[in-house]
Formats: sequence, C-alpha cells, structure tokens
Amino acid sequence: MLSRDKWGTSLKSLDQDITEILISRERIEQRVAEMGRQVASTYGDSLPLLVGVLKGCALFMADLVRYIDIPLEMDFIAIQSYGGFQHSTSGAVGITKDLDNPIEGRDVLVVEGIVDTGMTISYLLRNLEARQPHTIRLCAFLDKPARRILKVPISFRGFEIPDRFVVGYGLDFNQRYRNLPYIGVLSKEVTGLSYA
Amino acid sequence: MAVITISREPGVGGEEIAARLAGKLGFLLVDKAHLTRLWREINLEDEELSSVDERVPTDEQALGGEVEAYARLLPDLLAQLAEEHDLVIIGRASQALFRDRPGTLHVRIIGTRDFRVRQLQDKEGLSPRRARRQIRELEQQRSRYIRYLYRLNWADITLYDLIIRMDRLSIDQALKLIMAAAAEMRLQTVPRRRIVENLLPELTEPRGDGQFVNEAEREFAHFLEFYRIPYEYEPRTFILETDQEGKTVEAFTPDFYLPEQDLYIELTTMKQSLVTRKNRKVRKLRRLYPEVNIRIFYQKDFQTLLAKYGLLANQSGKGIDAPEAS
Repeated sequence: MLSRDKWGTSLKSLDQDITEILISRERIEQRVAEMGRQVASTYGDSLPLLVGVLKGCALFMADLVRYIDIPLEMDFIAIQSYGGFQHSTSGAVGITKDLDNPIEGRDVLVVEGIVDTGMTISYLLRNLEARQPHTIRLCAFLDKPARRILKVPISFRGFEIPDRFVVGYGLDFNQRYRNLPYIGVLSKEVTGLSYA
Repeated sequence: MAVITISREPGVGGEEIAARLAGKLGFLLVDKAHLTRLWREINLEDEELSSVDERVPTDEQALGGEVEAYARLLPDLLAQLAEEHDLVIIGRASQALFRDRPGTLHVRIIGTRDFRVRQLQDKEGLSPRRARRQIRELEQQRSRYIRYLYRLNWADITLYDLIIRMDRLSIDQALKLIMAAAAEMRLQTVPRRRIVENLLPELTEPRGDGQFVNEAEREFAHFLEFYRIPYEYEPRTFILETDQEGKTVEAFTPDFYLPEQDLYIELTTMKQSLVTRKNRKVRKLRRLYPEVNIRIFYQKDFQTLLAKYGLLANQSGKGIDAPEAS
C-alpha cells in the first residue's frame, strides 16, 4: 500500500506492514473534534487538568486539546510496561515519569490512547485517586472491550474497536508505527501472531 | 439415543442423504456449517478449521504443533456433541471415533466411479475430467485424514454396519434403508452415556508441587503481580454435577480469582484439546452459578497479550528491554 500525506511524504515503508485501515484520518479528525466539544461542555470553567499517558496519548492529546475551547492545563505521566516473566527486573509496575504538580482537589481527565486489558489504566487510576483529586475521569481514544480483564469506567470514548492488533495515531508496536496518521491493523508477519 | 455416521465416497450425494436423514429423525446434523459455528464459538478462525476438516496437510513439516492440536480438537467437538444430542454426522472420520460403540450406526455410501463422475457432472456442472480429479483429490484427503487420526483404512468395509451403493437406488430408497437399520438396531433405546462413555477421558492436568500447571499460568500470574492486581490461584471448586448419592461427578476449578474485581479467570492457553471441554464447563457453571463472574482467557488472548509486550517467541526481540505502556 503506497500513500502520501498532504505534504507529499511517502509513507510506504510503514504502510506496507498494515493489512487494513481500521479508522481513517478523516474519521479520526471528526471524532476527536466531537470529543473535544464533549469534554469542554462537561468541564465548563472548572479548569480541568488533562493528564496524558505517554506515549500512546501523544497524537490524540495534541489533537484533542485543540478542540477543547475552555481553559485547561496539561501534564503527562508515563509508566513502565510489562516486560515478561523472564525480563522484568523490578517485578512490579512503576512510574517512569511522574506528574510535575500535585493534583489534589483538581478535576483530572486522564487521556489514554487505548484501553484493552485495562491493566495499565487501572493501576494508573488507583495511583492518581490516592492523590485525592476532586474528580477523575478517563478519556480513551480507543476501547477494545473484547480483551478487557479489569473493568474500567470510560467517560469519553473515541471508538470501540474489535479484537485486532492496531497501531498508528500514537499507538506502537515495539515503539514503531506511532506516526501513522490513521489506525491500522498490523500484519501477522510483523506481530508474530497467528492472526492479524 | 443415537449417533449415525455417514461416510460417503465423493459424488454419491452423501451430504443430501445425511441432511434429509437428520430432518426425518429430528437429529442434529453435524456438517461443515455446524462445525464452523462451533469453531467460531470457541474463538477460533475459519481458516484453522479448513486446514484440518477432513484433511491434514500433505506437508509433514506443517503437521505438528498447532495444526495437530486443531486436528485433534475436531473429534473432541464431536464427542461433546454426542454427550448432549442425537446426531447424524457426515464424514469427519466419525465412524472411527464411534467405532463399535453401542447406540451407533455406521453407514457407508458408495457408487461406481462412472456413476459418481456423472453425478458431479449433472449436479455441479463439472467436466468429466474435473469431476474425476475432484473425486480423486477428496478420496486422498479423506483417507489420509482417517489414517492420521485413527490409523484406520477408510475403505475397510468392516468399519461399517451398512453399505449402500447408489447406482441403482434413489435417495428416498437409501433413506428408507438407513432408517430401517436404525430401527432394527434399536439405536434409540441405548442410554446416551453408554455411547460416549470413556470416549473423552477426563484429562487431569499435572500439578507440580503447589506450582502453576504451565508456563502460561506462571506468566499470567506474573503479569497480575506486575500490575499489583491481587489474585488467588485456584481458590474454589464449583460442583457442576452430582450423582444420585450426592457424589461429585463433575467439577470445575477456575485458575485465578481476582478478589477486587470479583472475577474468575480460566486460562485455556496452549491446550487446544481442552478448550471445548472448558467452554462447556464454563457454560454449565454460568447456568448453575449465575452470580459468578468468569472470563475465559483463550490462547488467542494470551498471544495478543504477549505480542503487545513484544514477548512472542518469534518476534524479533526488539522492545523487550523497556517498552512503554500503550
């Protein structure tokens, strides 16, 4: 699959690993705009603090805030990801980049690229709740409920997607493909899965 | 209670006979469509079924691991269906699976090669050459299949109770013969448990000294620990069935319990032969204990989990060091 974005850049090398475009650039833009308006009308003048979960949130967060036309603040947090039985050293999840400021009493909106098993986000929500914000809500661009282990309340949801291995728009596989401007299904040759 | 198996040479119209027989008797027809539905129910792909349905790969290399597990899953599905229904099974080497079982009738439908070629010409519009080739290919596949699974010869006439040659019979006449045989053999008076007794030996999972049964469970436990999710390992056994004296005849012990979520998790990974049995147990558990929250974690789920963290064995190994969340 060979495509060019509007600046004429060839995306061939990344595109060729994608078997299907699940959500196009246009649909993303339209939906993110709607979400931004929803967020704005929910928070009004309460000066929400948007907490982006790195790195999956990067593109989504950047687009989302442009459609939220109320005053807000932004911060970011990153947590360690599971490294496998053989490889993880510390044995438990930890924060690798914490928030810069306290969130006590704030209206916090956690912005996440995708929620699938719910493990990462559950840990994060528990951690942030312990810091006693006034409210805490979750905004997830993608929701993959088929794979959910832990229940997670999602207040703002971009798209519900089927159980496919997706990348792009901030979501990676082995740190790559984040820069694809759409949500695509990664081929099984790349993932090593027996399905795409 | 009864199981009637229909083994058919290609081109004799066996599918139609089986379907009409099932309709007349009110039995469940087990054919490709039904198996496909079951296969989807346990979350497997259609392609995987096609690769092992009445055939096995000709390439010896491809036969192993997963393909073999899928091939052996099919008899399992059939046996489970027989636990709950009267069946007419078309092909699938079912005459071998249910060989000499009480309550079963094994029918073989044959025809001369010329007759079968003509049938395929008329019904499927094939050229004689195509028809012959199709017949030959199907015969080879099916005979390999039964040899692979049961080490039996498809053409061995002692596998069958009734052999019907279609050259001079109509389908209606063939049906009458089969129904007469079923009635004469008093199939339906046989209790179901005698048909399936010991057909599916309960596999007991080997337990190490208080450890997890396999790598998958160990990995999953580690995964939960990493995210600081409290869990208990096999804390509760649910009784699914008791006999008249109140003795437990069937029970189920889910692998994990997450108290904070009030959720049981059953891992079925890497043991395809156990998948359908577990599925059935989980369904039964949900029926008997509707308040219990349980989720099956299939091999596919587990693979995806590992893939997401770059941990699948055949991945290039990048990203294992310190991949970021999402």
